[in-house]
Amino acid sequence: MSEQTTGDVIDSVLGLEAGSELKALREKREKLKALTQSSYLAALRPKEPRNFPYPLRAAIAARMSALWKADELAAHYRGLLEQEGSTAELLNVADSGWTPEDGQSRLAAILRHVDLVTLNPKAATRANIEALHAAGLDDRDIVTLAGLIAFVNYQILVVAGLKMLRDN
Amino acid sequence: MTVVNDFTLEPLDWHPYVKPVDLSAATPEQLDALKVTPSNTKVSAYVLVLAQEAETLAERTPLFNDIMYSEGGLSRGGRELGALAASFVNHCVYCAAVHANRYIQLEKRPEVVDEIYRSGLDADLPEYDQALFNFGVDLTAHPDNVGVYQFYHLREKGLDDLEILDLIHSVAIFGWANRLMHTLGEPHRKD
Repeated sequence: MSEQTTGDVIDSVLGLEAGSELKALREKREKLKALTQSSYLAALRPKEPRNFPYPLRAAIAARMSALWKADELAAHYRGLLEQEGSTAELLNVADSGWTPEDGQSRLAAILRHVDLVTLNPKAATRANIEALHAAGLDDRDIVTLAGLIAFVNYQILVVAGLKMLRDN
Repeated sequence: MTVVNDFTLEPLDWHPYVKPVDLSAATPEQLDALKVTPSNTKVSAYVLVLAQEAETLAERTPLFNDIMYSEGGLSRGGRELGALAASFVNHCVYCAAVHANRYIQLEKRPEVVDEIYRSGLDADLPEYDQALFNFGVDLTAHPDNVGVYQFYHLREKGLDDLEILDLIHSVAIFGWANRLMHTLGEPHRKD
């Protein structure tokens, strides 16, 4: 595996070196820290990526990080996208201001869901899941997408909280 | 069936919009991921839905448990308050009901939960609880705007670094849980 996915991603995006006080604090919750990293691998680089290839996962993660202005994570995920094999379209996906021209496409439906559930999850309803079904996603795809969105939002909140501790 | 859209402390059932894994047809990896859930007698519909992605579920369950139940640091009740704040912002009615009831069991202070259910995000709470609750609301609603103000509010109420770390994680794991539970299904009143 590449340097983007080995080591601890959160330590790395926060620039926590050996000897840092915050790194030592995180290590008091060693199990939680390790499971956060293994959850990252399960969300971004699962053994069976199925209908969500690694580069698409990285691009969607970069987009969600950009939506919350989580600059360090956005940079990390753009780097990961580069390594996984980027395309012009995936670079667009990573840009939180971009939406596909064909609003009826599978990708457009996926990104509408990503944007909604990232920024305004309380507004999500059954109709949003029906829209994903209508765009051709199966039940497992929907759980895959929900899991990716949910994990990256968790990571964004953890990084935001840790930055507060690092900088104060 | 009665869909519940408003916050309640009544016991609820959760009905998924997508197909749960059929236990009798589950793969060995799915069965393995399901085994580590705390409810060992009956697997919930929620966990059976998540088992569609067994690799993720197998990491998520122990992570959730460690965040909410690990020894030391922030009290169990304090973590439930972080979970409740996140669930109120994200309007996860099911998550809120479960964790409000757990808070009451642990802390024996139903008045804290009553005030949150009455006033929502504007709840007026005893100082220490207010600091935890406000942090949960702020981190959930504005992760791009959490900093010195939130930090000093927590410090002023005496939270040390490990307690703050535990609070961050209890809020963040509900940023995760709410985005599954509130988007993949809906709560119904128990019949």
